Amino acid sequence: MVPLSSVAEGGHGVIVDVRATDDGRADRLLALGVTPGARFVVLQTFPGIVFLCDQTELAVERSVADSVFVRVTTTAE
Amino acid sequence: MSCHVVLERAASQPLKLRARPLRVALVGQPNVGKSVVFGRLTGRYVTVSNYPGTTVAVSKGRALVGAEVCDVIDTPGVNTLEGSVSEDERITRDVVAGEQAEVIVQVADARNVRRALMLTSQLAAFGKPMVLALNMIDEAFARGIAVDAPALAAALHVPVVEMVAVEGRGLSELRDALACAARPDVPAHPHATARAVWAHELTERVRRVSTLSLAYVQEALARATRRPVTGLPILAAVLYALYLFVGVFGAQTLVKILEDGVFGRGINPAATWLADRFVPVPLVRDFFVGQYGLVTMGLTYAIAIVLPVVATFFLMFGFLEDSGYIPRLAIFCDRIFRVMGLNGKAVLPMVLGLGCDTMATMTTRILGTPKERLIAILLLALGIPCSAQLATIMGILGGISFAALGTLFAVVLGQMFLVGWLAARVLKGDRSEFILELPPIRWPRVGNLLTKTRLRVWWYLGEAVPLFLIGTVLLFVLDRAGALERIAAAGRPIVTGLLGLPPATAQILVMGFLRRDYGAAGLFQLAHDGQLSGVQAVVALTVMTLFVPCVANFLMMVRERGLKTGLAIIGVITPVAVFTGGALNYVLHYLGVQF
Repeated sequence: MVPLSSVAEGGHGVIVDVRATDDGRADRLLALGVTPGARFVVLQTFPGIVFLCDQTELAVERSVADSVFVRVTTTAE
Repeated sequence: MSCHVVLERAASQPLKLRARPLRVALVGQPNVGKSVVFGRLTGRYVTVSNYPGTTVAVSKGRALVGAEVCDVIDTPGVNTLEGSVSEDERITRDVVAGEQAEVIVQVADARNVRRALMLTSQLAAFGKPMVLALNMIDEAFARGIAVDAPALAAALHVPVVEMVAVEGRGLSELRDALACAARPDVPAHPHATARAVWAHELTERVRRVSTLSLAYVQEALARATRRPVTGLPILAAVLYALYLFVGVFGAQTLVKILEDGVFGRGINPAATWLADRFVPVPLVRDFFVGQYGLVTMGLTYAIAIVLPVVATFFLMFGFLEDSGYIPRLAIFCDRIFRVMGLNGKAVLPMVLGLGCDTMATMTTRILGTPKERLIAILLLALGIPCSAQLATIMGILGGISFAALGTLFAVVLGQMFLVGWLAARVLKGDRSEFILELPPIRWPRVGNLLTKTRLRVWWYLGEAVPLFLIGTVLLFVLDRAGALERIAAAGRPIVTGLLGLPPATAQILVMGFLRRDYGAAGLFQLAHDGQLSGVQAVVALTVMTLFVPCVANFLMMVRERGLKTGLAIIGVITPVAVFTGGALNYVLHYLGVQF
């Protein structure tokens, strides 16, 4: 299990956990579909982190991606 | 799930002859087509936008369902109904909980059943009968997504209707389903993660996805807009297209037709002729058609000069919004904006401010924290020139040299960074984290685009024209009372001394306070008449761009943040504008620059 921010572009896998925080960030991510079990693909890591989570395309800053934990099934070639 | 099966259930409430209409509430995430469903049900159109927070007002209408009339209420798009709630979410929650909603119709994007179910679970807690409408099934199909609607209906014990609202498909099924609306059978979830797990499992049961990729061209385009290497050229191209469409076609071609043709040869002479004939009192005559006449100045500026620019801007902006470009621009600008205490989301109000700062100030509501909203409003007022002003800047400086234009933009941008950076340090509070949903890149639907533009132009006319007229009246009164001269005289030492501008500029700046583009147009006149040197033009326009916003903008600031804050903002901006102008004047002269 690794943070989403460490996954390279093209890497995909499954969301495992979203760390709870007191500012409601975790709730917001859950509401947008970043939930345990959802499949994801990392589309970009610079300048911002952009990933496809199930059918939703999301852009987040690095500190947010640090709190999302995933299991990578394959990395980019 | 067929009607009579549901009717047998104790929990369902069939429609019956009522004393008053059945109240139906439409709820759903942003961009699921809720407003389109509303429009089709009630026959009344509502603005459809890709950005949450743009339609905050709740819309109501009447719909004919069979022989019954229903009251339909449309709510703002929401992603959740609990947790740290925004204004949209609070409004929707109030509607759903209260007596305005007897039946809830959840409109969902068929491509994203999992997220829809997160909301369904929350809606179920309110205990009201529901219908689930899976909209955009055509787009889901195009993506290889198939949803088993009957299975979903059986699992939830709620009618599930498949729709393509923009084509009107599924509407009669929706109307029929209203009669079978039932309370959903959803387990109570202690927290969001449990709900997420339930939603995920149910989705896996009822949905099949054959491919997980987007269309190739769209994906390539989306990728190109996000990355710096390709994104910057695209941005430059977009800005250039904006300049061509708004700055050339709108500000020059259309304005010429309206100002010289329609007003210059038609309306103004006719009005003057009428006034000469029928208005004996000179004071009243001047009021309408004199130098500061209501018709000759106020109406002319509002309709001939400002309207074409604003209309073309809104059209282009709507296109950029609906195509999915603006959110991707936000990713691009996120790091830059963080320097100023904002994040990428602020790109929406900032770009909108190029059209109209007043409307942009209202849009700052979508930003996460009060501190960000304040900084955004401050920077909008400080640095972002509205479209009418932009047009004049381009018109005057563009005709001088590229260096002149570049100098103005460099100074204004630099000031924005500086003030933003300082404000971020000085003001208390945090900024929100950047989390943004990116809608798919698509060619905008022409109907949507035109309606959206029309609504925005209508709004603008309703706000702007009265203010132009009030501004003109004020100017007229000040001029007659001799006060205009006196105010200008008071400011003249600064204007001619520190700023090195011709004395007439003082009066123009005063006018500029009443209406920003007034001042800009007044300067244009000066430049036209050859009374402004290159350096003077740059200094004057820089001061004007940095200067206090127009009255409408000020009123909007007061409405959003209160009078004290509004006055504080003016108190900060005015010295910044004047001293920057003075410094620029000094530096340019010292360097011996001549544009």
